[in-house]
Amino acid sequence: MRKPLLLAFLAGLAASTAFAQGRTPPPETMDIGDEPGRVSTPETVIEDGPFARQMVFFRSSEPPNTVVIHTSERFLYVVMGGNRALRYGIGVGREGFQWAGLQKVTRKAEWPDWTPPPEMIQRQPYLPRFMAGGPGNPMGARALYLGSTVYRIHGTNQPETIGQAISSGCFRLANGDVIDLFERVPVGAKVIIRHGPQV
Amino acid sequence: MVWRKSLAALSLALAGLTVPVLAQTGTLEQVRQRGSLQCGVSTGLYGFSIQQDGKWAGFDVDFCRAVAAAVLGSPDRVSFVPLSAAERFEALKSGKIDILSRNSTWTLQREAELGLVFAAVLFHDGQGFMVRRSANITSALELGGKKVCVQAGTTSQNVARDYFAANAMQVEIKVFPDAPATLAGFAKGECEAMTTDNSGLFAERLKLEKPGDAVILPDIISKEPLGPVTRADDMRWHMVVKWVAFALINAEELGVSTKTLAAAAQSGKPDVRRLIGVEGGFGKMLGLQDDWARRAIEAVGNYAELYERNVGTGSRLGIPRGLNQLWSEGGILHAPPVR
Repeated sequence: MRKPLLLAFLAGLAASTAFAQGRTPPPETMDIGDEPGRVSTPETVIEDGPFARQMVFFRSSEPPNTVVIHTSERFLYVVMGGNRALRYGIGVGREGFQWAGLQKVTRKAEWPDWTPPPEMIQRQPYLPRFMAGGPGNPMGARALYLGSTVYRIHGTNQPETIGQAISSGCFRLANGDVIDLFERVPVGAKVIIRHGPQV
Repeated sequence: MVWRKSLAALSLALAGLTVPVLAQTGTLEQVRQRGSLQCGVSTGLYGFSIQQDGKWAGFDVDFCRAVAAAVLGSPDRVSFVPLSAAERFEALKSGKIDILSRNSTWTLQREAELGLVFAAVLFHDGQGFMVRRSANITSALELGGKKVCVQAGTTSQNVARDYFAANAMQVEIKVFPDAPATLAGFAKGECEAMTTDNSGLFAERLKLEKPGDAVILPDIISKEPLGPVTRADDMRWHMVVKWVAFALINAEELGVSTKTLAAAAQSGKPDVRRLIGVEGGFGKMLGLQDDWARRAIEAVGNYAELYERNVGTGSRLGIPRGLNQLWSEGGILHAPPVR
């Protein structure tokens, strides 16, 4: 009885290590790589379904314009006060690339350039080393830089991936939605990234 | 004196007879003996209880599956009894069903007069408003000077009138004979907004030619707390149903889900260990196995999974969590702790 149990435990351990290193994509993740060069228009917004931008009931003691990101829910909230928040559907980091923390918006950019960080190049060597901003850029129409991290809230040229966990830790919105967010959230705004409780 | 004594003796004897009989016929024992749970649901309400390919699905349906899993060890041991609004409470009182899980509002009359008890609020519904996206209205307080479509003879009509009066707003309320006519009135532009219960608005919106052209405002202006109901004469069974509901909510709060159940069994957190039954012996206190909550979560997921799959992001309804978000995450959903 002990041996199979131990084996199962070890197998589980091996699986979780692989997860952490991001080698084995979890079954619920669609294996879609970045598609540099693919064009999505700045007008693209999520219009229909649960991930469409909408005002929702949201009790919060945070000041208006605070951004709250719920990774497990795939939603980004902009606190509006009066028990309300504007909610956007987002794409989040794949398993092992999700994180939590408290950051500030340190910079905002329109049609940002893309310089994949070295660790991303190491994982995905086929990626370009640099790509100038524009409609075919995976960073999309706008970017909000989070503290001094490599992570951003940005647009995407793959709007169909909203609601999924496929990024390298960034939070992506459809281009039209990230433009809307960009107009609302000032540099200096507080960004709370929640990952959900761990057992 | 003699007859009084013998009467007393007789009643004692009767009491002695009835006590074990009552204990044997408690709902929990009946469910166990039958080997299945009799669950009263609505005859068909998308997202809550509906038959798809011969199989029942929905939020209310899944809650009964969770109870069956906790009590009988399997979510499949449920017989669903579709009930109209008129017959639902009588079906529960008469013992035809063990539990009513049918989008019913918790009110004083239903408990005090009908002899029923609501186990928990599993869905905070309430009256809301739908407007056209192009109108750029973000709050019900912006509806002053506008027209609002509502169905005749519903409480929605009075609630809306009272709300606008309380906020000193001049709003014209346009009344329609039934739900389809109300939606048609809104679709044709006879009013800027339409009002009914929030869950109903999301269902009605799907019937519009372009659902995305309408938005539902975040304001909820009335209380329609929905939840499972049991008979008031069986508190032991009531407690089982109540704590299955609380277990699902607590599971979400602790991060215990169908995906983390295995990890939860190895958890060092006392809250998690008590919930899934590796510590504390809480199942026995309810008259169940200690893994009662683990089985319920395994069957239907935690509250977030139950919600999103049936009425949230996994469903065409796409109802935001809103009030039904956890109390710690912006909503008012709250469950007492398992300890």
